[in-house]
Amino acid sequence: MRFLLGRLMRSGFLLVGVSLLSFLLLQLAPGDFFDEMKLDPQISPQTIAGLRTQFGLDRSLPVRYGLWLQSAARGDFGYSFAYNSPVAPLLKTRVRNTALLAGVSTLIAWLLALVIGVWSAMRAGHWDDRLCTGVMSISLALPDVLVALALLLVATRTGVFPVGGMVSTDFADLTLWQKARDIGAHMMLPVLALVFGLVPTLVRHVRSSVAEALSAPWVRAARAHGIAPGRLLLRHVLPVAANPLISLFGVSLATLLSVSLLIEIIMSWPGLGPFFLEAIMARDVYVVIGTVLLSTVFLVAGNLIADGLLFAADPRIRRS
Amino acid sequence: MYVSLLVAPSAAVAQRPQPITPAEDLLITGNDPGKYGGRVVVALRAEPKTLNPVTALDQPSREVMGRMMADLLHINALSQQAEPALAKSWKVSKDGLRYTLTLRRNLRFSDGHAMNADDVLFTFQVLLDEKINSPQRDLLTIGGKPISVQKVDDATVLFELASPYAAAERLFDSMEILPRHLLQDAYHAGTLARAWNLTTPPSQIAGMGPFRLKEYVPGQKLTLERNPYYWKMDRSRQRLPYLDELVFLFVSSEDAQVLRFEAGEADMIQRLSADNYSALQKDAVSRHFRLFDLGPSLDYNFLLFNLNSAIPKEAADIVRHQEWFRNVNFRQAVSEAVDRAAIVRLVFHGRGTALWSSVTPANKLWLDASLPHAPRSIEHAKQLLRKSGFSWNAEGALLDKSGAPVEFSILTSASNAQRSQMATLIQDDLKQLGMKVQAVPLEFKSMLDRVFQTHNYDTAIMALGGGDVDPNSQINVWMSNGGSHLWNLGETKPATDWEAQIDTLMNQQLTTLDYKRRKQLYDRVQEIAAQQLPFINLASPNVLVGARERIGNFQPAILDHYTLWNVEQLYIK
Repeated sequence: MRFLLGRLMRSGFLLVGVSLLSFLLLQLAPGDFFDEMKLDPQISPQTIAGLRTQFGLDRSLPVRYGLWLQSAARGDFGYSFAYNSPVAPLLKTRVRNTALLAGVSTLIAWLLALVIGVWSAMRAGHWDDRLCTGVMSISLALPDVLVALALLLVATRTGVFPVGGMVSTDFADLTLWQKARDIGAHMMLPVLALVFGLVPTLVRHVRSSVAEALSAPWVRAARAHGIAPGRLLLRHVLPVAANPLISLFGVSLATLLSVSLLIEIIMSWPGLGPFFLEAIMARDVYVVIGTVLLSTVFLVAGNLIADGLLFAADPRIRRS
Repeated sequence: MYVSLLVAPSAAVAQRPQPITPAEDLLITGNDPGKYGGRVVVALRAEPKTLNPVTALDQPSREVMGRMMADLLHINALSQQAEPALAKSWKVSKDGLRYTLTLRRNLRFSDGHAMNADDVLFTFQVLLDEKINSPQRDLLTIGGKPISVQKVDDATVLFELASPYAAAERLFDSMEILPRHLLQDAYHAGTLARAWNLTTPPSQIAGMGPFRLKEYVPGQKLTLERNPYYWKMDRSRQRLPYLDELVFLFVSSEDAQVLRFEAGEADMIQRLSADNYSALQKDAVSRHFRLFDLGPSLDYNFLLFNLNSAIPKEAADIVRHQEWFRNVNFRQAVSEAVDRAAIVRLVFHGRGTALWSSVTPANKLWLDASLPHAPRSIEHAKQLLRKSGFSWNAEGALLDKSGAPVEFSILTSASNAQRSQMATLIQDDLKQLGMKVQAVPLEFKSMLDRVFQTHNYDTAIMALGGGDVDPNSQINVWMSNGGSHLWNLGETKPATDWEAQIDTLMNQQLTTLDYKRRKQLYDRVQEIAAQQLPFINLASPNVLVGARERIGNFQPAILDHYTLWNVEQLYIK
C-alpha cells in the first residue's frame, strides 16, 4: 500500500511540474492566438486588444498560472480561446476516440508479439527464427509515417478501406451491427499502422526474455524430469520471463499514445492528435497544456498499472 | 461517444419544406428548378469553433454559419454587387447618411418563430456593444462613430451614418440577423459571447439561413438539415433549399481532403492547390467529378520590405538594410528583377496570374487596367541601382555606397510551400543583380510575431486577400494608421509624402458616393503604389474547385464562399 501511495504522490508532483514547464515553454513561443486576426484588414487593433484583455492574455505569467490552477481545481483546465469554452469537456470527447484506437492497438500488438516472440524464442537459432528476426529488424527501421502513408495509398487505390475519419456520413442510419462494422472498417488502417510500429520492438523483448528463461539450468532440469513442454512453458517459463515485459507494458502504452497522435493526424482520426496540432499552431495555450497533461496522465497511469502488476506478480517486490 | 452513437436511434425522416402561404414575402430565385432530397458532403480544413456569429473569428465557423444565417443585404458572389436579401429593398438619402431598409414580411427563423424589425434592432445592438468585442463592430463604425439603428415600423429599419460612406449597403453583407427570442436572455446576463457554442442543443439555435443545425460530432463532422421555413423559392414555387442535408467533415489537410474527394466521401472541394488540381484531373472522368479553374482570385502574394521606424536594438543590421529598402530605385530594381512569369509557371503550374497591383484581375470593378506592367529587365534594374550609388565588385556582388555588400533575408511561412518556393525563385532572380538573399522559412505565428510585433525582419513574402472587392475592405492596408499597413505599422502620421497622398485619396473615396469618381481616386492609389512599391506584388493563385457531376446548379464563384454561396439552389440530379 505504501508503495502505491508513494508512487501516486510522485505522480502528482510530476503533473504540477509538467504544467509549469508547459506554461513557461509556451510563453517563450513567439506570437499569440489573436495574431492571425491582424492579417484581416477589416479588424481593428483595438478589437484585438479588447479580446486579449477579455481572455486575460495581458496579465503576467504568474497571475495566469494561478488562475489556471484555480480553473484546474474546478475541473475546467483553463479556457480555450478558439472554442470559447472550458478545455476539459473538449478533451473528454476526443480522448475517448484516442483511447479506443490506442487500446485496441495495444491489445492486438501484445497478443501478436507474445505469440511471435515465444515461438521465435523456442525456435532460437533455426532458419525460421532468423527470418523472423530479420523481418522484425526491417520493420523496426521503417518510419511509422511512411507505413501510414503507404497504407493510405493502398486504401485510395483499391477503395477497400475508408481513407480517413471514424464513421461514414450515413452512420446514423445504420443498424447496430452495421455501426460496429463501420467503426471497425475505419479503424483498420490506423490500427494496422500502430500495430506495425509497435510489434517489432515488443517481439524482440518477448523473444529475448523468454529465450533467457528457457536457457536457465532449471529449465533443463525440469525437461529432464519429463515435464511436458507446453506445461513447462505456460506454468514455469512465462511467469519468470514476465517481469521485464510488465515494465515494458507501461512504457509501450505511453509511446503508443505519442505515435498514435501522429497516426491520427495522417489518418484524420478524430482523437487528440489533430486537435492538439491545431491548438499548437493556433497558440490556443490552455488546450495545449490540457493535452500535454492528459498525455502525462496516460504515461503515469501506464507506469502505475505496470507497477501494480509487478507488485502482484513478483513476491520479491512485495517483500521490499 | 462511439458507445452513445451505437445506441442512438436511427435518423429521423428528412424535414419537409413548409407549404408556401400567400402572406410570405419570399424571394424568387432565377435558377433552374431542381428536385428535393439528398445530401451534399463537403470537407472543412478545421473544425468550426463556435456557432455564434457575433464572436466567430475562424474561417470554418464562418463557412458553416454562412449556411445557417442570413443578412439584410447580400453581396452576390457572381455579380459582386449588393442585392436584397432579408430586406426587400433599400433607399439611400441624397446626402448618403440615411439608409432605409424595408424587410420582407412574415418570414420565420428556422425554429418557426417570426422575424421582424425587433430582431434586426437586437442584432445591431449586440454587434455594436463594446463589451462584446465583435469583429463586425469595426465595420459598423464609420467616421469614428457607430451606425445608429432605429425601428420605423415592424418591417422598416432606418440606419444613420455619422458621415457619408461609399457603398455602405455592402456593410450589411454577413451581418447575420440573430433571433432575439433565443439570445436576449444571454445578452442581458452578459453571457452572449459564450452562447451558441458547439455543445448547445440544436433546438436552441436558429437562423434565417437555408439550413439549421442537426448534429455535431466532435472531431468528425457537423450536419445541417433543411430549414423548412427558408425565405427563397424557385420560379416553379418550390421552397428552397432542395437538399435534405449538408454535412461538413473535418479533414485537417488539403491532401487528406483530396483523398476523401477522390474516394467519393466528399462531394465538393475548394481551395485546391495547382499540384492537387493536376493530380485530380486524370481521375475526373472515371470518378465522375468535374474540376473548375475560375481564374485569378482576390488573394495577392507580395514581397514586403520592412520600412518600420521602430526596430529592436539587437537588430542593428536591419536599420542598415533599411537604407536600401527606403530607396525607391532599389525597390523598383527588385521588382524589375523578379520573374513573375516563372512564379506563375513553377509555383502555380500556370494556374495563377502575375500581378503588378494588389488589386487582382479578379476584381473587375476596381482594377486599374491602365497600370503599366514593367517588363522584367535585369539591365534596367542595374541602371536604377547604379543611379542610386550602388556598384559591383569584381565577383559581381552588389555593394552599397559605403561599400558594404547587399545581403538580406526573406521571411516566409514554413507551412506554406508555395510561398517558400517563391522565396527561392526570388533569391535566384536577385542573385542576377548581385544581391545575396537568404530565404528563411519560419513557423507561421513566429513569422507574424516578427512582422507585427518585433519588426525583426528584412523582407517577407505574405499574402492578403479580400472577402470583398470594394476598396473599403482594403482601407486598413492603405491608411498609414491602419492595422494592416504592414510595411510601417503604428505610424501616427504618414512617414512619407506618398503615404500622405494615399491617405487623402482613401479618405476621399470613402466619402464619395459616385462609382466613377471613386474609381478615379482608387486608380490613383494603385498608380502611386505601383510607383512607390511598398509591396512588390507577385502573383495571384487561381480559384480551383471541384464537384461531383451529380450536383445540379453548381456555379462556383471567385468570391468566398466559392462553392457553397448558392447552396440553397444545389440539388442532386
